Amino acid sequence: MSDQDISKEEIEAVFPKAAEIIADALGCDEDEVQLTSSLIDDLDAESIDFLDIVFRLEREFKVKIPRGKIVEDARGDLSEAEFEQGGIVTDAGRANLKSFLSEVPEDRFSNPMKSADIAKLFTTETFCKMVVRLQKEG
Amino acid sequence: MSEHFRAFSFVDRITSAQPGASVTGVYTIPTGIDRFSNSLVAESLGQLAAWSAMAKIDFRFRPVAGIAGGVDFLSSVEPGQQLELAAQLEQSDEEAVRYGGTVTVGGQEILRLEDCLGPMVSMEDYDDPLAMRKRYDLICGEGAEPGVFEGIPDFPFTRIEDESVPGQSIAAAFTVPESALFFADHFPRNPVFPGTLLMDTKLRLAETLAMEIPPGGKDADWKVARITDVKIRDFTPPGEMLALRAKVDEKTETALTIRMETRKGGQRNSSAKIGFRSGE
Repeated sequence: MSDQDISKEEIEAVFPKAAEIIADALGCDEDEVQLTSSLIDDLDAESIDFLDIVFRLEREFKVKIPRGKIVEDARGDLSEAEFEQGGIVTDAGRANLKSFLSEVPEDRFSNPMKSADIAKLFTTETFCKMVVRLQKEG
Repeated sequence: MSEHFRAFSFVDRITSAQPGASVTGVYTIPTGIDRFSNSLVAESLGQLAAWSAMAKIDFRFRPVAGIAGGVDFLSSVEPGQQLELAAQLEQSDEEAVRYGGTVTVGGQEILRLEDCLGPMVSMEDYDDPLAMRKRYDLICGEGAEPGVFEGIPDFPFTRIEDESVPGQSIAAAFTVPESALFFADHFPRNPVFPGTLLMDTKLRLAETLAMEIPPGGKDADWKVARITDVKIRDFTPPGEMLALRAKVDEKTETALTIRMETRKGGQRNSSAKIGFRSGE
C-alpha cells in the first residue's frame, strides 16, 4: 500500500489517540508529541518504549502489529540482502526507505545509514500511517 | 548451599501448562517469614508466566521485567498461605512475552496483572539453560521443595528534605545492597536488583507521601489499590545508587494517584503510577 492510499485526513483522525498513547508511554506531555516528532531524537524513546507503544496501539486500534512491520513494509520488493549489507542500508534500501517514510525530511536519511539507526527516522506520523494501513488491511 | 532456585523463586509447582499460551501453578509462602509483600505476589505470577514462555522456546531466552499495564492489589497475604497462580500468555516468542493473570488464595482473588510485557534476553547471559530446563521439569513433576525462601528485608531509602515538598512530593536516595541472597537467584550469571523489589521500594515511598495527605477529611487511611504504567528501562546492579521521586499526580476525596520515578546516574531507570483509595 503506497502513501497515495493514505490521506491526510486519515492520519489526522488517528493522531490524537496515537499522540496520547505515545505521551503516556514516554511520560511526556501530550503537546510535546507532534506529527513530526522523532520518537528517539525528539522524545527520548528507548527500545522498551517502542514495545510499549506498539502494545498500546494494538489495544487501542484493535490491530496486530507484527515485529519489524515498518522496516518490512519499507523494504517492499527488495530482499533482505538487497536492502542491507553488513549492517549498512544499501542505496536501493535508502531509496525505498525515503519513499516509504515520505513524512521524514530528506536530510534525516544519512549516507551511509546503519540499519540499527533506521528507528531514529520514525516519527509520530510514521506510526499513524502504520495504524491506518493495518486498519485498511483488516 | 546455593541460593539458586531458593532465594528468589516463587513457583513450587506447575499444575497445568500449554507452553506459551496458559499456565497454572502454586506457591506456598513459608511460615517462618515476617511477611510476603504484594510485590512478591506479583513476582510469583510473573515467574509462572516466564516459565511457560521459556519452555516454549526451549530455554534459549528468558524474560526480564519490562512493563505492567495494571496491577490490582485486592488483598494481602499471610505466611503459610498457598498462592494459586494462573497466567494467560497473549504473545510468547524470542522477542517478548505478553501476559496477564490472577493470584487467588482459597479461591479468593488477591491480585490481578494486566497487559504485562517482559522483553526476552539471551538465557546464557543470565542463567544455565540446562539448569533451567531441569528446574522446569521438577516443578512440572513432583514440585520443588517448599519453604526454602527466607524472606527479604525492606531496604531503606533516605529522604532528601530540601528536594521534598510536604504533601506534594518526596525525593529520596536509595542504594541497592552490594550483596544479598537473592542476587544468586536473580540472576546467577548477572546479578540485578529485582524489578519487583524496586517496585516495593517505590510503593513504600509512595505510602510515605500518601500519609502526608489527609484523605477527604475522613479517618480512613489511603490504601494501595492499583498500580499502572509500570516500566523498567534498565537493569539495576548491586551497589547502584538511585534517585527516587514520588509526586502527587491527581487527588480527590477518595482517590489519590502518585507518580513514581527512579533515576540512575541522572537517566530514567523506572516509572509507575500508584493509585490509592480511601474510605473503602
